[in-house]
Amino acid sequence: MRDTYNTYQPLIMHIDLNSCFATVEQQARVVLRGKPVAVVNRRTDQTMIVTASYEAKAAGVKLGMKLRDARKLCPGLVGVESDPPKYRYVYHKLLDIMNDYSAHVTMKSIDEGVIDFTQAPQAIIDRGLENIGREIKQRLKDEIGTAMRCNVGIATNRFLAKTAASLHKPDGLDVITHENLRDVLGTLKLQDLTGIAERNAHRLESVGVMTPLDFLDTSASVLHNSVFKSIDGDKWHQRLHGWEVDDVAITTKRVGRQYVLDDFNLTFDEILQRLHHLCESVGWRMRKQGLSARGIYVGTRTFGMRGDKRRNYWHATHVSQTPFFSDATIYSLARHLFVNASPNIRDINVHVYLLQPHEQSQVSLFADEIARERSVVSAIDQLNDRYGEHTVHSADTLKTSPFVKTKIPFGSTRYL
Amino acid sequence: MNDEIFLNERIDVLAKFGTGLNPCVPIKFRRPNGREVVVTEIGLRHPTTQGKRAVHVFDVTDGAIDYRIELDSERLTWQLTRMGDAI
Repeated sequence: MRDTYNTYQPLIMHIDLNSCFATVEQQARVVLRGKPVAVVNRRTDQTMIVTASYEAKAAGVKLGMKLRDARKLCPGLVGVESDPPKYRYVYHKLLDIMNDYSAHVTMKSIDEGVIDFTQAPQAIIDRGLENIGREIKQRLKDEIGTAMRCNVGIATNRFLAKTAASLHKPDGLDVITHENLRDVLGTLKLQDLTGIAERNAHRLESVGVMTPLDFLDTSASVLHNSVFKSIDGDKWHQRLHGWEVDDVAITTKRVGRQYVLDDFNLTFDEILQRLHHLCESVGWRMRKQGLSARGIYVGTRTFGMRGDKRRNYWHATHVSQTPFFSDATIYSLARHLFVNASPNIRDINVHVYLLQPHEQSQVSLFADEIARERSVVSAIDQLNDRYGEHTVHSADTLKTSPFVKTKIPFGSTRYL
Repeated sequence: MNDEIFLNERIDVLAKFGTGLNPCVPIKFRRPNGREVVVTEIGLRHPTTQGKRAVHVFDVTDGAIDYRIELDSERLTWQLTRMGDAI
């Protein structure tokens, strides 16, 4: 455990395309520039806002707000339906640019990534990370478009680099070192720190830690024993002092999809068709990563009694002895669980877990049958690869494609 | 909510193919109704696929209205697929 500040040269760069989807839409559609724009997933007034442009945010529009409510705050708000291929293109362009500077690039989500320069060639480091940051900003404008802006943060660890990237939105470049750390933290509130939301802030305040500077000055033992009551307290102490604790590889533990029903008056059979579509999508994503699963989870959210949140949720799980991988098996298991779901369903959720490499399943007594199933699934996947996802699918999901569209997942870059 | 009109029109396009970061630059196009649109700015060009077929999507503007035109790289055809509604 190190109690001192990290005084090494800052070599971690965090790049963040804030309001990414809205900025990309304003880049693509020139007429929308300078106007308040909200990106939504469906063309209805009831839909939630996924991203808002800076102009919309200035008028009080927040993420998660219904478009109808946001229009009351900001009458000129333009709702634009999300366009995943466009965002994927910008994501890959940003990744290409970042890869030009270091072999150690990690994308944290579709709109932010980290470049680790600790093992970069000396010639690159000698150029100065601030110069490289400015060059990346310029390259974004040259290679994608003039409306593209990003925030760059530089520090000795990922946490402080992200904090630096959030200091001067939407087009900032800031460096946090051991010399200005106290000055920077002095300008922030507890909940401005990534990872400190309402609950953690309440925990800290209960022991008299009211500001980020108090947090910085609190000893590791107090954070461990009195605040977080776990090793998280030690990690926070290290993080705030500029030492790296977040450079960890994340493995896929489950693959899933959630869907808010397009109509709340659907029959049970129509909901089953949408569940079937989700199962096909989950199977496709899982096999794309070369995995099969042993566990399945099916959940729903329902219109329950007002004020009693427990009644609003239902879920069931099943763990199979042998791994499964085909859409037909996933749907068969999910359907078997789903017949017990509560009525008045609002959204459905399917996940597979206990994942393992697809090829390493044990040979069973039914090896021929499994081999045949694998051949059929592989042939269908090849056709869908060639002609587009959901080209060959069950007749049951023939009518569901217009409703169950693929959307961009925040926080994961596995399917991009 | 809907600020775009979805279309599926084959169009004649005058484009410049050159070098640099944007090797294909649409200059103007003519719609089936005879109306000619002069492109004043390309907002974004991004590739996408229809199955294995690569399609290049150009979001362009004539200064007043945004348009989306698509070049099918296999068939070498251009389509006008979207047009922004007046905002």
